[in-house]
Amino acid sequence: MKRFIKLPITDIIFALISFSASFIVLTLIFSTILVLYNESSLAIHRFGILNFIFTVDWDPVREVFGAASSLYGTLVTTVLSLLIAIPISIGIAIFLTEISPHIMKTPVGIAIEMLAAIPSIIYGMWGLFTLAPIMANYIEPALQATLGKVPVIGKLFEGTPMGIDLFTASVILSIMITPFIASIARDSFNLTPNIVKESAYALGATHWEVIRDVVIPYAKLGVYGGIVLALGRALGETMAVAFVLGNNHQITLSLFEAAATITVTLANEFTEADTDIYLSSLFYLALILFVLSFVVLAAAKIFLLRAEKGYSR
Amino acid sequence: MISNPGYVKRRKIRGFIALFLSTLAAGLGLFWLGFILFDVLRHGLTAINLELFLEDPAPPGIPGGGLRNAFVGQILITFYATIIGVPLGLLAGTFIAEYARGTKFARVVSILSDIMVSVPSIVVGTFIYAIMVQPQGKINLGGIFGVLFLSIILAIIFGSILNLIVKKVIRISESKAGKVVNLFVTLSTILFGLVTFLILMPKLVDRIHGFNGWAGASALAFIMIPVVLRTTEDMLTLVPWTLREAAFALGASYYNVIKDIVYRSAITGILTGIILSISRVAGETAPLLFTSFNNSYFTLNMNEPMASLTVTIFNYAMGPYEDWHEKAWAAAFVITFFILIVTILSRSIIHLKYKNKS
Repeated sequence: MKRFIKLPITDIIFALISFSASFIVLTLIFSTILVLYNESSLAIHRFGILNFIFTVDWDPVREVFGAASSLYGTLVTTVLSLLIAIPISIGIAIFLTEISPHIMKTPVGIAIEMLAAIPSIIYGMWGLFTLAPIMANYIEPALQATLGKVPVIGKLFEGTPMGIDLFTASVILSIMITPFIASIARDSFNLTPNIVKESAYALGATHWEVIRDVVIPYAKLGVYGGIVLALGRALGETMAVAFVLGNNHQITLSLFEAAATITVTLANEFTEADTDIYLSSLFYLALILFVLSFVVLAAAKIFLLRAEKGYSR
Repeated sequence: MISNPGYVKRRKIRGFIALFLSTLAAGLGLFWLGFILFDVLRHGLTAINLELFLEDPAPPGIPGGGLRNAFVGQILITFYATIIGVPLGLLAGTFIAEYARGTKFARVVSILSDIMVSVPSIVVGTFIYAIMVQPQGKINLGGIFGVLFLSIILAIIFGSILNLIVKKVIRISESKAGKVVNLFVTLSTILFGLVTFLILMPKLVDRIHGFNGWAGASALAFIMIPVVLRTTEDMLTLVPWTLREAAFALGASYYNVIKDIVYRSAITGILTGIILSISRVAGETAPLLFTSFNNSYFTLNMNEPMASLTVTIFNYAMGPYEDWHEKAWAAAFVITFFILIVTILSRSIIHLKYKNKS
């Protein structure tokens, strides 16, 4: 304590100021939860927690609100986009670490990271004006003609292909999250010690077998972290989805139907909410989304920290 | 089994197919990037003209006019977001990288801000809406905090400028006189902060009702803070500890070490991080939708709803008029290429600067 008193006054002041700054940052995230909870307390009291989550109705006129349709849309787009993005981004990571000639590594890597720098509203706009017509005219009819004929899976591809639907939204989301998984997977692959790979080659493994049985298992935790991080990103993505989803509160099995996600509901209806219970329900949705993505992102962080520890060992 | 030539061939073929598919995946990623950029370029270049920057929007449905209000609004909102977010992130990053290095507090703040970087931006919008747009009963809490914060920052800027001037004008080496000068600077800084708070308070708090530009700037700052914090922390940890020890050995206080040694050696990295964070928030739409909202008129008043490029793109692209779509493409072109150029430039600066060290 005596040592601290001897410090010059500027030092103490600077330490205090910077401490309060970091304290503000710390409180920001907790005050977000508190404020959202406070704002949504009306809806929480009216609808309860489980009841709200499993109610399909979203009817501002009758003032009955439920999160099921929005949650369903969020889950479907997120899962579908991950299914598309994971193989592609792992392929990109393999290309960048193992296949690409040295000269191409940096430019291709930067180009892939550029995909993450493009603002989400550009994705949304491009999706609405360019991708949606392509989807409606070529890709979706083609899918209906082939996969749509298969008995059980065919249910997923029913309806008139309009381009404004869950499928297009998922494709756009998958493009957006690809760079996140790819760059983390690439960094993890790069950390595989050469000596391990060389041992595998010495045993007669082919290039692909080295990647599959040595590099990927070694980088497993980092890749998981990247995937979960991308999951968190996809959950909260707003603008890219808002253009091509149509904000239609319904639960359909078909991927070719308009739907709503939590973020799309918020973006479209927040400024139009005219009653207290309507606004409160929207805050409730925001709270659910916040908690959901917080948990997912924390899990991603745990994976990545563990991966770091594993590599440094 | 291994001597069986068919088996080896199968393995080789399987490997070739897998590697081919990986290359194809990389090609697909490049294809999407090229497709999007080409589309933005194609539509943007046909729609862009000088009127876009110099004229305000025409009434809906009538062709002509520009997006001057949105450009100015975007610049203002981003500027104030930088003013709010950068000092906070910088100071907080300094604290956890220097004073609290290695403590549990630093770890918690660092991990939480890593999470904050990816928190859905629309949730940030709802949070700011709740505290700054929607009045809290009779007292506008968000407004008071905002003004308090603004005056603290202004006071800090004022204090450091005053400190610089005083140090330059009166060169004092005696410790007693130095203490008096320091005390004077501190007191006048606090006084300045108080006066600013008292002057700004009635001016801002009563007028901040409904959607306003300050709310938009705060929402962007919320997103900016963790980004700046993390880059600052990373860049400060890259500065070798021995450099600080050398300065300590000369009798410098920690404040002086941070100011003259640590910041000076990490300045390129920190500045690039700040520029990256600006380019990151410049493309954000969701947090602005219900904080700064939109305004079809030109305004410089941050207490009013304010147009921004991104929200304008959203409204125009969803709108029914062909002319609006063209304007949206032009705005998208400007914003995309601004962000891409800034990102590439700052990334290559970081690459050049830190290539040799790591």
